[in-house]
Amino acid sequence: MNGKLTDSVKKALELLGKKNLNGDVFGIKERNISYSIKKGELSESSEYEDLGLGIRVIKDGKIGFGYCTPGKEEKGVRRAEELSSISQKLELNLPDEEEVPEPKIFDKKVEKSTLEGEGAEFTQQVIDGAKEYKDDIIPTRGSLSIGIGTKVLGNTKGVFLQHEGTAISTGVLATIPGDETSINASESRFSRKMDLNFTDIGKTAAKKVDSLREASELPEGKIPVVINPDAFGMLMWFGIVPAINGENIRKGKSVYEGRKKEKVASEGLVMKDDPTRDWGIGSGSFDDEGIPSREVSIIENGTLTNFIYDLKEAIKSDTESTGNGLRGTFKNPPEISDRNIVLRGEGKKKEKLLPDKGILVDGVMGAHTLNPASGDFSVVGTPAWLVEDGEIEGKVEGAMISGNLPETLETIELADDYKKSYASIGSREIKMDLPSARFNDVTVSGK
Amino acid sequence: MSLKNIIDYVREEGAAYCDIRKERWDTTSLTLKDGEMEKVTSGNEEGAMVRVLYNDGWGNVGTSDLAELKNAADRAITMAKNSDKYKKEQTGMADVETHEEKVEMPMEENFLDISTEEKVSFLKDLEKHLDKSFVRSTELRYIDRLVDKEIATSDGTHIEMKIPRIVTYIIITGKSDTIQRASEGIGGTGGYELTGRAYEKKDVVLERLETLLEAQTPPSGKMSLIMDPHLTGVFSHEAFGHAAESDLVSTGNSCLEGKMGEKVASEIVTIRDDPTMDGYGSFPFDDEGTKARNRTLVEKGILNDFILDRENAWKLDMEPNGGARAEDFRVKPLVRMSNTIMEPGDMEFDELVEKVDKGVYAKSSGGGQVNTGEGTFQFNAQEAYLIEDGEIVKPLRDVSFNGFTLQTLQNITGITKELDTGIGHCGKGQTAAVTDGGANVLISEVTVGGRE
Repeated sequence: MNGKLTDSVKKALELLGKKNLNGDVFGIKERNISYSIKKGELSESSEYEDLGLGIRVIKDGKIGFGYCTPGKEEKGVRRAEELSSISQKLELNLPDEEEVPEPKIFDKKVEKSTLEGEGAEFTQQVIDGAKEYKDDIIPTRGSLSIGIGTKVLGNTKGVFLQHEGTAISTGVLATIPGDETSINASESRFSRKMDLNFTDIGKTAAKKVDSLREASELPEGKIPVVINPDAFGMLMWFGIVPAINGENIRKGKSVYEGRKKEKVASEGLVMKDDPTRDWGIGSGSFDDEGIPSREVSIIENGTLTNFIYDLKEAIKSDTESTGNGLRGTFKNPPEISDRNIVLRGEGKKKEKLLPDKGILVDGVMGAHTLNPASGDFSVVGTPAWLVEDGEIEGKVEGAMISGNLPETLETIELADDYKKSYASIGSREIKMDLPSARFNDVTVSGK
Repeated sequence: MSLKNIIDYVREEGAAYCDIRKERWDTTSLTLKDGEMEKVTSGNEEGAMVRVLYNDGWGNVGTSDLAELKNAADRAITMAKNSDKYKKEQTGMADVETHEEKVEMPMEENFLDISTEEKVSFLKDLEKHLDKSFVRSTELRYIDRLVDKEIATSDGTHIEMKIPRIVTYIIITGKSDTIQRASEGIGGTGGYELTGRAYEKKDVVLERLETLLEAQTPPSGKMSLIMDPHLTGVFSHEAFGHAAESDLVSTGNSCLEGKMGEKVASEIVTIRDDPTMDGYGSFPFDDEGTKARNRTLVEKGILNDFILDRENAWKLDMEPNGGARAEDFRVKPLVRMSNTIMEPGDMEFDELVEKVDKGVYAKSSGGGQVNTGEGTFQFNAQEAYLIEDGEIVKPLRDVSFNGFTLQTLQNITGITKELDTGIGHCGKGQTAAVTDGGANVLISEVTVGGRE
C-alpha cells in the first residue's frame, strides 16, 4: 500500500507542476489494530486503515489547502488552488533538498505482530497481570493498540521524503468493586518497539488500586505535591507547551514573551524538543513541511533559550523554522506543534522527593481546563496518597491542587524515573519524555 | 457489491450479526487570526466500517478504500473469530424495530451553496465587532461539515441520512497583570442560517474577557455554588450523563450501577438526553440504525433510564434507545450522549443568590472531567463571581470545583426558570458533537479550588 501512497503524492506534485504552481503534498498512511478490555475480558478487536493527501498550493504568494483520498488528486489540487485566492499573502519559502537524520522509529517485530494478530495475546497478558495480583481486582476497561504509519512529503522544489514508524500502546483500568462506588487506578505505557512487559502493566495497575483501600485525611494548605510522570506530562503539555509556541510569543499570549535568557526554571532543569532521538514517541526524520528534524533547546540549566516555529510563523517572527510544523492528519495544514519534548533535571531518586508532609499524585482530573495563556491551574489529584515523613500512607480523596505552572517550574525538583508518556485527548496528542516531579509552590484544598 | 450483498456474505460465513456504515464527509474549515486568513481548507473523505459479531466476539474494520469493502469484511470476520476465542461472557444485540428510510436534516440555507468568499466575509465582519481596547488578540474559526451516511444491518435496517453541522468559535485574549482568554462556540445541526447566532453571543464573550482582566484568584474550600445554564448543562453531561452511559454501567464503571428506580438526586432534578431536539448533537438515527428518541435519565430525582446501544441494552435487559455514535467511519460506535438538559425549575436568579452566605457564581464551562466508577468530577468555569451574604461581590478567575456526583446531585437546592444551552465536543476516546443546557442551579456545597 506504500506504493499507492507515494504514487498518489507524485501524481499530485505532477499536477502542481503542470499548472506551474508551487506547493507541497503530504501523504499519510496508517494501519492500526486495537483490542478492547471490558470487565476482565478481551471483548473485541478493531482495525482501521487510512490513506489520504493534504495539498498546499502557493499561488501569487497566497496559500490554499485541500485534501483528498488517492485517485482524487485533481479535485484536491483544484480545491487548494481555488482557496489560495482568499488567504493571506505570505512568501512561504519551502525547503530545498537536504540530508535528514534517521532516528530509529520502526521495529519489524511490531510490524510482524500486526500481521499475525499477536495483539490479542498481549492484551490477555495485560488482563492476567491485573487479575492474578489479587482476586477482587478486575481490569474493567482498557485497550491495546498497535500501529504502523507512513508519512510522505514532497514539494515542487524537488524534496521527496518518506519515513515509517511503529507504535504500541496499552492502558488498563483496574477496579475494586464496591457497594456504592468502586475504587480504580490505571496504568498506561507506550513504545515504538516491542519492549513492553504486558503482564507488568496489568500488575502495576492492580498494585496501585490495591494501595487505595485505606483512606487518610487530606492535608491542606501550601504543601509539596509529588506528581508521577503521566500526570506531570499532562500539566506540562497544557501549561508550558503553549507558552513556547512562537506565535503566542509574537502575539503577547505567552508568559514567556520577552523573557529569553531569563531564569524560568529551577537550577539544572533542561527542556528540549528532540525528534532525532532513537525510539522517541514523536521522533522522525522530518517535520510535516519537510524540514529536517533537529534538537531544539528550550530551557537550558533553568534559562529560557528558544521557542518553536513552523515555516509560516518563522517568516512572521523573522526567524527560521525549528522543524515544528505538524499536521495531525492529512486533513490539516501544518501548524506549530511540539514533537518530542524531553525534560531532565537533577535526577534525584523519587523517594528523596517525598516530603515530610504532602501528597503523592498519580493522575489529574481537569488538566485540559488549565488556562493556556496564564498557566493557572486547579485540578483534582486522583488517585493520590498522603505522604508523611517521606513515607506513602493511605489514599486521599478530592485533593484540589491549584497553582501557576510557569511559577511552579521555578522551584520544581525532578526525579530520575523517566517515562515516555503518551495520551490522546480528542485530536490532541500528548507526547512527553519526563520523570516524576515535586511541586513546591501549590495549594492543596478539599477536605 | 452493495452493502446488503456484503452483509449477506458475512452472514453466510456464520456471523451472528453484521452492520456496515458508509460515510462521506464534506468539510470547510476557516481560521481568521488577528485579521489574517490563517487557515483556508476544504476537502472530502469517504470510507466505511464493517462490524461483525461471531458467536460472542466482535471484529470491527474501518477502511478509507471503498473498493476494498469485501476485504474489510473478510478481515472483520477473522478478527471476530479471534476475539471469540478469548471471550467467555455471552454477547448479544437487543432487538429493535427495523427501518428503511432516507432522511435529510434540514438546512434553511445550504452551506454548500455559499461561496468560501462569503464565509470569509462573515468572519471578517464578526471580527470588526470584537475591536475593543482590552482585546489584544482575536481568533475566529468557522467549520461546516455535511456527513452523508448509509447504514445497513443484518436485521434488515437500511438508513440513508444527511447530517449538516456548523460551528463558529470566538476566542479573544487580553492582558492586565495576567493574560486572560474568553471563548465561545456557537452553532448547531443545520445550515448557514446558524451563523447569525455568533452575532448574538459576541457581547457575552467580550464582557467575559473584560471581567476576567479585573478578576482575582478564588478562595479555596467547601462552599455553595450557583452554576449558570451552560455550566449546569456541562455538569449534567459530565458528572451525571457519563455515569448513565450503559457501556460504563455494564462493565462496573458507573456509580449508577444497580440504582435504577432509586433516588439519585434532589427531587427538583430532571435530566434528559434528547437527540431529536434542536441542538449540535442531534441526529435522526444512531450509528446502529436505531431511531433516535428522548431519554429521561432522571425524573424528579429518580434514576429512570440509561443511554443504551443494542449490545449493552442486551446485557442490562433494557430497551435500546439510540445511544450508539461513532466519530467517523474509522471507528466503531460507542455509547454517547447527544443534547443533555437539566430541566428548568421555578425560582428567580435573585432568590438563589439570596440563599448563599459564602459561595461562587460560576458561568460558562472551561471544561471538565469525571471518574464515573468512583463518582467524582472536576469542572472549570470561564467566568465567576464571589458571593457573600446573599450578594455578588467581585469577579474571580480560574475557578475550578469538584465533588462526588451522587452527593452533589442531592445537594441541588434551587433551579431557576429560564433554559439556555451551549455547544461542545465530548471526548471519550472519540469526539462527538453535543449540546448541554439547563437553568441557573444552586448546589449547597462543593469544593472550590483556589490559590488563597
